[in-house]
Amino acid sequence: MKKLRISPPAAALILAVTLFLLSGLLPNGFGSDMSIARAQATNIVRLAVFLGVIAAGQTLVIISGSEGIDLSAGSVVTLTAILAYVMIKGNDSMVLPAIGVVILVGALIGLVNGIGITYLKISPFVMTLGMAGVVKGLIIILNHGNVSGKVAPIMTSIIARPVVFGIPGAILIWVVFGLFMWFLLERTPFGRNLFAIGVNRITSTLSGIHVPRMNLATYSLAGALAGIGGFLLVGNTGVVFISLGDPYLFPSIAAVAVGGTLLSGGKGSYWGTMSGAIVLTLITSLLTTMQMPESVRRMVLGGTLLMLISIYGRQRALRQ
Amino acid sequence: MTVLLSAQNIVKRYGGVIALSDGNLEVSSGEVVALVGANGSGKSTLSKIINGVVVLDGGQLLLDGVPVQFPSPQAARKMGIATVFQELSLIPQMSIAENIWLTREPLHPTGTVDQKEVTERTKRLLKLFEGTFKTELTPDVSVSSLQPDEKQIIEILKAISVDPRILILDEATASLDSRQVSRLFELVATWKLSGKAIIFVSHRMEEIFRIADTYSVLRNGKTVGSGKIKEVTEKELVNLMIEKASVFTHARQNRAGAKELAQKPVYLTVNALATDVLRGVNLQVRRGELLGLGGLMGQGQRELLRSIFGYIHYHGTINILGKDVHYRHPADAIKDRTAFVPGDRGKEGLLYIRSILENILLPSWKEFGVPTRMKKAHEVAVGVGESLNLKMAGLDEPVSSLSGGNAQKVVIGKWLKRKPQLLLLDDPTKGVDVGTKAEFYKLLANLCDEGKTIIFYSSDDEELVGLCDRILVMHDGNIRTELVDRMITKRNLVAASLGASEEEQHE
Repeated sequence: MKKLRISPPAAALILAVTLFLLSGLLPNGFGSDMSIARAQATNIVRLAVFLGVIAAGQTLVIISGSEGIDLSAGSVVTLTAILAYVMIKGNDSMVLPAIGVVILVGALIGLVNGIGITYLKISPFVMTLGMAGVVKGLIIILNHGNVSGKVAPIMTSIIARPVVFGIPGAILIWVVFGLFMWFLLERTPFGRNLFAIGVNRITSTLSGIHVPRMNLATYSLAGALAGIGGFLLVGNTGVVFISLGDPYLFPSIAAVAVGGTLLSGGKGSYWGTMSGAIVLTLITSLLTTMQMPESVRRMVLGGTLLMLISIYGRQRALRQ
Repeated sequence: MTVLLSAQNIVKRYGGVIALSDGNLEVSSGEVVALVGANGSGKSTLSKIINGVVVLDGGQLLLDGVPVQFPSPQAARKMGIATVFQELSLIPQMSIAENIWLTREPLHPTGTVDQKEVTERTKRLLKLFEGTFKTELTPDVSVSSLQPDEKQIIEILKAISVDPRILILDEATASLDSRQVSRLFELVATWKLSGKAIIFVSHRMEEIFRIADTYSVLRNGKTVGSGKIKEVTEKELVNLMIEKASVFTHARQNRAGAKELAQKPVYLTVNALATDVLRGVNLQVRRGELLGLGGLMGQGQRELLRSIFGYIHYHGTINILGKDVHYRHPADAIKDRTAFVPGDRGKEGLLYIRSILENILLPSWKEFGVPTRMKKAHEVAVGVGESLNLKMAGLDEPVSSLSGGNAQKVVIGKWLKRKPQLLLLDDPTKGVDVGTKAEFYKLLANLCDEGKTIIFYSSDDEELVGLCDRILVMHDGNIRTELVDRMITKRNLVAASLGASEEEQHE
């Protein structure tokens, strides 16, 4: 007796496609016009890229277990976006150095998170929440005299515009990014050990894994990835403001959960997070198209999240 | 004697897997029935059907000759059936008294908990095991601070506190030391007199013969034999359980005596090893030696193995092949080709929700490079699985799908691939079925013949006596007695564990 088992990422993707097709039936939907449908779909995926990249670091810390979470991701995104903006000043040649700086700054903030969690035994929730506050403070200091800067033309043309076959550069970047994340999780000792410490840290230590080092590396990497997220985001918006990254924080956690990664750690995938980011972006944009008020949008988003996670929970119970 | 409970032709399926196809059990009041069988034979399932944890798919349960159904454990408990679970069901954050009386707290007429009564009754229960605890226990002690054996006893007390008519002891002796087991058996004798029926699920032959009146053997979900324990021998019982009687060869051949050992090179020397439990342990192991660690549970055996593996901080010196080492992390010990099989499979040895493959390769990922050569990794894991005769649906299945014995093979398997020179084993056969045990004994013998050094702690005295070249008996963080050559007898081992002075040359 073989049971059909749909993995959570696939389930999320199927949900996204179904919702999208249904949305065509709406009064102001794409109807039977395939070119509009294609443009809408592309746009939604393009918007999902930023949430998806910001949620990459979140995926890693959540997989690492022991209540791993990064609540400083939103602030790090804002900070690195501002840094990139200020450094580049519309100058294409400053793009590469800026990428280096945002990665470094993000990694440094992540490292401090990791040190607090690993050695001072502060819970990840509290540590990263505190860090979010500290980074916020830094942003205000930086922003005090009103930052002046500009994104480089090359960023806008690559990130925000179509590059080949009408596919926006952001999506291509995301695909490469997704491959990198898959490689990291599935084909490196770091990835294998990350799942291991997420399930059981005693077993991991007794099998020779340096758990504290892994923890530091994971939080640093998460910070660096949030930094890249900030860079991409500013390339898309072209402007910076003090709460630029904030709206991405909770969706980044939700995307990880919707993608089937266990919030308790030890199991999950980045392609799940990618599906999760697409679902969440799709629902938000559909509700906006339907001109739903903010209150309804929030309720529907929250409800979807609860529904999906309860379904995953049931699947697990059935398998035991 | 009247039959109190009778389970007839019980069938239980989990999805496509048939856990029980024809399970039968009968127990009368004032009787102990031993429910025996290898891991995966269905004895856990049968006891879970009797206590209402799982619902049967076919067959029937008769209580006092009347058909009954237990849709929930609470229903079974109301009918007077209590269980001591193998996997502990205690809540660590709560005290002993709170755990025992959970949901059944004696109340004041006003509806609030009668704390005085709770304490009083808990004290009475604790008295049953008085003198067998390492430290005296009081009702307000938090369960999280207890040793495994103490937790197990609280579990027993919790079950008996409802004054059941039928008590199921599911591997309840596995983490108890011999003194605690004896006390439990004395209590069982008094419970029998008061008319209770006891279902005793155990892997330990010696205990079964000590305590049971009747037996019922399960094999592959079927009851294949039952009768009076007096009319059966250990060997016959084992034959019933595993079909192939020949694998049950406890004793290891060509063991080294003291003279032979002295000719082998010293592999490991430990000097004045001290932790918060150990008090300056000295020992020496030679290459190819199988050294046993014995003694009552919790005398520092575990800490000794863990310090040698670099898992806990210690004072003193450890020397391997003439070189002083001081490991700060198990990774250092692993580099020197030391392996450690921890005592608690679930908490320390396995990643339950991850695949068998990942568990086997856990210490070895670095060797497969970046990107990980998955094909090679797969081949290695297949090799390990075959060499250990691992029974599984596939390498990608989670470890949680394996039976206890096969899960333990995975814990051992992750080291075998690395060809360790020194193996530290912390009670590796606990809760493992007889068939797997026999395979495991053979593996140990082979490893020693290949010149590997093994330090082996076991809570099963027969194993130590049957396998080891030499046994060190530990007491209170130190080595109390060394048994060599013909001194290695069960009697000597037990005597030394208990601190009795008399030691005989022969049995």
